[in-house]
Amino acid sequence: MDTGTILSNALNPAILFFFLGVASVLLKSDLEIPSPLPKLFSLYLLLVIGFKGGVELAHSGFSTQVLLTFIAAILAAVVVPIASFFVLRLKLDVYNAAAIAASYGSVSAVTFVTATTFLQQTGIPYNGYMVAALAIMESPAIVAGVLLVRVYDSKQEKGVNWSEVLREAFLNGSVVLLVGSLFIGLVAPETAQKSLEPFTKGIFYGVLTFFLLDMGLLAARRLRDLTATGPFLIGFGILAPVVNAVIAILIAKLIGMGEGNALLFAVLCASASYIAVPAAMRLSIPEANPSLYVSMALAITFPFNIIFGIPLYLQLIRILGV
Amino acid sequence: MKSVKRIEIVVDSVELNRLVEVLEESQLKGYTVIKDVLGRGLHGLRDGGDLTDVLTNVYVLVACNEDQVHPLIEQLRPILTRFGGICLISDAQWVVH
Repeated sequence: MDTGTILSNALNPAILFFFLGVASVLLKSDLEIPSPLPKLFSLYLLLVIGFKGGVELAHSGFSTQVLLTFIAAILAAVVVPIASFFVLRLKLDVYNAAAIAASYGSVSAVTFVTATTFLQQTGIPYNGYMVAALAIMESPAIVAGVLLVRVYDSKQEKGVNWSEVLREAFLNGSVVLLVGSLFIGLVAPETAQKSLEPFTKGIFYGVLTFFLLDMGLLAARRLRDLTATGPFLIGFGILAPVVNAVIAILIAKLIGMGEGNALLFAVLCASASYIAVPAAMRLSIPEANPSLYVSMALAITFPFNIIFGIPLYLQLIRILGV
Repeated sequence: MKSVKRIEIVVDSVELNRLVEVLEESQLKGYTVIKDVLGRGLHGLRDGGDLTDVLTNVYVLVACNEDQVHPLIEQLRPILTRFGGICLISDAQWVVH
C-alpha cells in the first residue's frame, strides 16, 4: 500500500479544512457556517460538475465505452441497495435496512467532486461523462428502497404513494440541478462556456474547500449518533464502501475503463447519499430512523472515502491492473 | 376580542407541504409557519446538522373556531401517526382589529 498517496491526499487543503471542521466541534468551538451557505455551496458544486460534465460529454460523444459505462452505472445503482439490504437485515428491521440500503445505493456528489480534484492534482486523466453516471446513479436506489419495504414488510397496510416516491427520486432539487446543468453544458456553445470559466473553474476549488469545512462540522456533530449505530453499522459504513469499490473496479476492468474513470466509478459505488436520499426516505419510509442513515453517510462513510477511500481505491485499481 | 382555539403543531420539516395541504383544504383563514425548529421527541433528537432538513422540525400555529377543530384534527391525525410530531390545542383570545 502506497501510504504516500494517502498522506498527500490527507494534506490536500480541502481535506485539511474538513479536519478543521471536525476539530472545531470536538474542541467545542462555536465555529458555524451560516445555514443557507452550505446549501448554496452544494448547489454550486452540482451546477458546476453537471455543466462541466455536459461540456465534456459534448466533446466525447456517445461512444460504446460511454454506453457501457452508463449501463454499468444503472446496474450498480440497482444491485448495491438490494445487496446492502440483505446484509443489513442481519441486524436491522426492514425499514432501517431499506433506508440505509437506499443511502448506500445512491451516491455522494461531494465525494465524487473530491475524487475529480484528486485526479486533477495527481495528473490522472478522466472523462467528464462520468458526471452523467453520477446523475444516473442518484435516483434508482430511492425506488429500490421503497420497493424493498413493500416486498418484505409484512405489516405494510397502506399502499405506496408512487407519485410522491418518483417525484422525490427523479425530481428532487439535486437531481434536477445536476441533470439540467449536464444538459445545458451539452448544448452550450463554446463562447458561452468560456464566459462561465471564472465561475466554473476560478472559484471551484475554494468553494469545495469551504464546503468541506462545513462537512467536517456536520460529520463531527453526528459522531454522537454513532453510539446508537453500534459496531455493526460502523463496520458496514466502512466495509461496504470498500467491497462495493472492489466490485466496481472489477466491472471497470471488464468494460475497459481507464484508470481515472475506474476510480470515479469506484467512488460512486462506494459513496452514500446524505442529501437526496435522506429527504426521500423521510417521506417514503418514515418508520426508519434518520439519525442512522444520515449519521452513517455523513460521519462514517463520507470521511472514510475522502481521506482513505480515494487513495485506497486508486491503489486497488493499480493492483488489479485496470 | 373573540374566543378561538389555538392549535400548535410540530412535525418534521419534510412533512410541511403535506401539512399545508391539509390546512388549505380545511379552509382556514390563515396559519403561521416557523422553520428550523429543533428539539427532541419520541422519534429522537432533531438538532439540524444535515443538508436536507431531515433532522429539523417546523412549528405551525393555527387559530380557528371551535367547530373547525375536530375536522382538522381528524385530517392531521394520520400525519402525526405515521410521521410523528405533536399537536396541542388550547384556548386563546383573538384580538379583533
